[in-house]
Amino acid sequence: MVKTFHPRTLEEALKIRKDEKAIPLAGGTDLMVRFRSWAGTQPDFPWPVMFINHLSEIRYIDIQPKEIRIGAGATLSEVEQCSEVPKVLRTAVSQMAAPALRNLGTVAGNICNASPAGDTISVLYALNARVELTSLHGARQISIMEFISGPGRKDLGDDEIMTAVMIPIESFTHTLYRKVGTRKANALSKLSFCGLAKIKAGRIDDIRLSFGAVGPTVVRSVETEKKLIGLSIEKLKELYSEIRPDYVAMVQPIDDQRSTAVYRKQVSLNLLDQYIESLTMES
Amino acid sequence: MKKRISDSIRRVDAFDKAGGITKYISDMDFEDLQYGRLVRALRSHARIKSIKSPKLPDGYYFITKDDIPTGGKNEIQQISNDWPVFVKDEVLFYGETVGMLVGPDRQKILDLEDAISIEYEELEEAFSIDEGLALKSGKIYGEDNCYGDYHLNKGDVKKGFAEAVTVFEEEINTGYQEHVYMEPQGLVGYYENGKYVIIASSQCPFYIKKAISPVLNTDQDNIVIKQATTGGAFGGKEHFPDIIAAPLAVAVDVIRKPIQVVFDRKEDLSFTAKRHPSRGIFRTGLDAKGNIVAMDVDVTINAGAYMSCSNIVLQRAIFSINSVYDIANVHVHGRSVATNAFPSDAFRGFGAPQGLFLAEMHMSHIARNLGISPVEYKRRYFMKKGDTTITNGIMHDEVKLEEMLEKVYAAGSIEEKLAEYTPGSGRGIGISFYQHGAGFTGNGEQEIIKAKLKMLKHGDGNVEILLSNVEMGQGLQTTFPKIAAQVLEIPIEMISCDNPDTSKVPNSGPTVASRSLMVVGKLVERASRELKERWDEDEEVEVLVNYIHPEGCEWDQATLQGDAYPTYGWGVCAIEVEVDPATAEVETKGIWTAHDVGVAIDEMIVHGQVNGGVIQALGYGSLEKLDYKDGKFQQNTLADYIIPTSMDFPMMSSQLIENPYENGPFGAKGLGELVFDGGASAFADAVEYAIGKKVYKIPVTPEYIMEVKNRD
Repeated sequence: MVKTFHPRTLEEALKIRKDEKAIPLAGGTDLMVRFRSWAGTQPDFPWPVMFINHLSEIRYIDIQPKEIRIGAGATLSEVEQCSEVPKVLRTAVSQMAAPALRNLGTVAGNICNASPAGDTISVLYALNARVELTSLHGARQISIMEFISGPGRKDLGDDEIMTAVMIPIESFTHTLYRKVGTRKANALSKLSFCGLAKIKAGRIDDIRLSFGAVGPTVVRSVETEKKLIGLSIEKLKELYSEIRPDYVAMVQPIDDQRSTAVYRKQVSLNLLDQYIESLTMES
Repeated sequence: MKKRISDSIRRVDAFDKAGGITKYISDMDFEDLQYGRLVRALRSHARIKSIKSPKLPDGYYFITKDDIPTGGKNEIQQISNDWPVFVKDEVLFYGETVGMLVGPDRQKILDLEDAISIEYEELEEAFSIDEGLALKSGKIYGEDNCYGDYHLNKGDVKKGFAEAVTVFEEEINTGYQEHVYMEPQGLVGYYENGKYVIIASSQCPFYIKKAISPVLNTDQDNIVIKQATTGGAFGGKEHFPDIIAAPLAVAVDVIRKPIQVVFDRKEDLSFTAKRHPSRGIFRTGLDAKGNIVAMDVDVTINAGAYMSCSNIVLQRAIFSINSVYDIANVHVHGRSVATNAFPSDAFRGFGAPQGLFLAEMHMSHIARNLGISPVEYKRRYFMKKGDTTITNGIMHDEVKLEEMLEKVYAAGSIEEKLAEYTPGSGRGIGISFYQHGAGFTGNGEQEIIKAKLKMLKHGDGNVEILLSNVEMGQGLQTTFPKIAAQVLEIPIEMISCDNPDTSKVPNSGPTVASRSLMVVGKLVERASRELKERWDEDEEVEVLVNYIHPEGCEWDQATLQGDAYPTYGWGVCAIEVEVDPATAEVETKGIWTAHDVGVAIDEMIVHGQVNGGVIQALGYGSLEKLDYKDGKFQQNTLADYIIPTSMDFPMMSSQLIENPYENGPFGAKGLGELVFDGGASAFADAVEYAIGKKVYKIPVTPEYIMEVKNRD
């Protein structure tokens, strides 16, 4: 028998989280699938379950001067339809699952599922997103890159609930998001690529490159990006072949039931090449 | 004015199905319903040393082979009877039934299942065709692991090869395919008034009756199969319901309460039969001008651990191995190979899609080697009326492929596109030609099925059609009454054709082989004509008709020689694709088809079949990768087993050619499988054109395209 909770306030939810170690369930689009059981029986949850999607305190998208705060209860559809949310994230969300699932699923849930194939995660890595984790003792914020440490592994205390995702408001001159899914709709990713760059006067002011589903976590290297930042487009053309091997080494996908390591690696690098080429062409 | 038979009407079942009113197996209520769950052997090849089950609470049962009634056999009577109800001693495939847990609470059943432990002695396993042929796991069947081993000879292949200047050899493969009927497998069994009753989501109620009668050691008259409204089948409910019905019947015999066995999706994907994987090895001799002078083909299919219908599937595969072409000198060697894989079974097309894919790709490859357009090359060999078929029968049909090709070209502006796109440019067009022998092979209708059909006129003027063919989405409960209404000149609302109940309907045969509308529909037409003549004879009039074999259709099943099929449906399919240079993902830009189905009994239903069949074939050809590893299907959820969505392929153009067949009702021929037969090869052919390299297997996934592009 699965024990379930339906808190009325966030504070009540935090108490239940602490006392019962109940897992927060917002849309349930991952959890209900992962713990499904034979038809006619209850899902096979190893913990009590706490519904949180109805809590108005976390169901918001708030546009602040420097960042956008997406409450943990905001659905993927709400994010997709909010014009202030960065286009690249909205694009990624619009390619997730199917409309009915997007009406239930949340960005926070996608992050907490911590799958390397999570479609918002590669984009949020590139956007330098932070997450807010709240317990009865207060809230803390960490970057999404620190939050996720492996497939399904995350820095979430057993008394904490993710309450918001923060995205800095920035502008980019070149953005590319590409999901290579198993089909055109209602598909899981074989791999994904996100490239964001700010090019000013023929020089790279900022660049972020992230790869989904090609390692235990989303792959992004701030170190390698630093090698690219500050380069002129001319220099980029010259030096790209020296920097590319960093990604050849970092992108380490596996064979599974959805695709092959060889394909994932080659396509990831093809998309990287394509993106870098787009920077040189349009400048 | 009398309407044309082909003019579309609203389907009889449309409103209730679209409105969620129709009740399927899982929706039915029964008093004191018990749930059954198959307990499976989770080894591919092993001897069972012991089975330990926990102490069962009251009202719970673990049904095993020891529960088979006295005198009953632990074997399911299908075409063969090798498939046991419960594992005998040796487990031959992963997931084979060991027993069935039954009880009122499903959670408790799951807990009990966890507490059952089976001890095995592991044995060597053989999964691939080659491992089966090499007897890697010993003799699974006979001396050589070949359920079927056939040779076909047409012309003089030796003489042909003597004239050959070059010999072109290649191997082509097709993969597994899962049916993904919307409603998974499900049955309910109970005991009532001295009879065993099974309500089944199935294609062949009379097959189930026959299958379980020796198990229960009871006369077939003591078994009643009631057809439940069936949410799709595609061949997956032709024989497989027998496999569930047999242990269910044993459980009903012991428990005497209603018991439901319904697979959930994962169980259905993991543990039901799939389409046979196939391999074709071609050796084709060409003369100096590139003409085919001889063709030698070795066809093997992976049949799995039990025979089921594999030999008939193999027969259709080898009869299709020349596609729509008249090749003068041919030898075909076909084998259905026993392995420790899950037994393969019927699937829309029944071997023809495999044979046709192998044939179409091979013909395209010969043409490409010669630098000739595949279409031009294939046209040289189009079968014509009076030509000799691969089984040395006569093609009785007027073959209208040229006319169909012209229609497809015009609809898709194919000529212009072919001129514009160069091979290897990333854009391509593929065209396939195909035929499907309608109905049972050879004289099966006459010798085995012997279909009977009854029509009743009641006192109120309403008419009832009694037959055993089932509505499974293909529209029979609309088309059968439509035929009768047209003949009787009464409104279709006055005619009923309900889900069959074997205690009430005559056996008009199984719902398979694209036979129902053509063969049984003809019986409906004949019975209606008789009924019309006798309409005023009495208040109630009963008409019974029997199958009549078409004249001039000779067949010898022992040698597989003669007219393999009474008639054929024909098809042409063109696919336009664009291949993404970075990801090798394929965007299908257009689909144009033309089909000869004789005469459409209802154009909307035919278009539904064309749309569904072609898209299902495109899934087979491009997306539906199903790997078998260590005895297990790897893609066992619908997140991983990828069937197309409506977003994956564009609207298709479909045209029909009228070519009436005299032994079909109003000239109709079978079409349900035909429309599946050409999509995969057209897609693969288009990809070949787009990437400028040959593909040798389906599904043509982006992963495989990348591999092909990296070749050389």
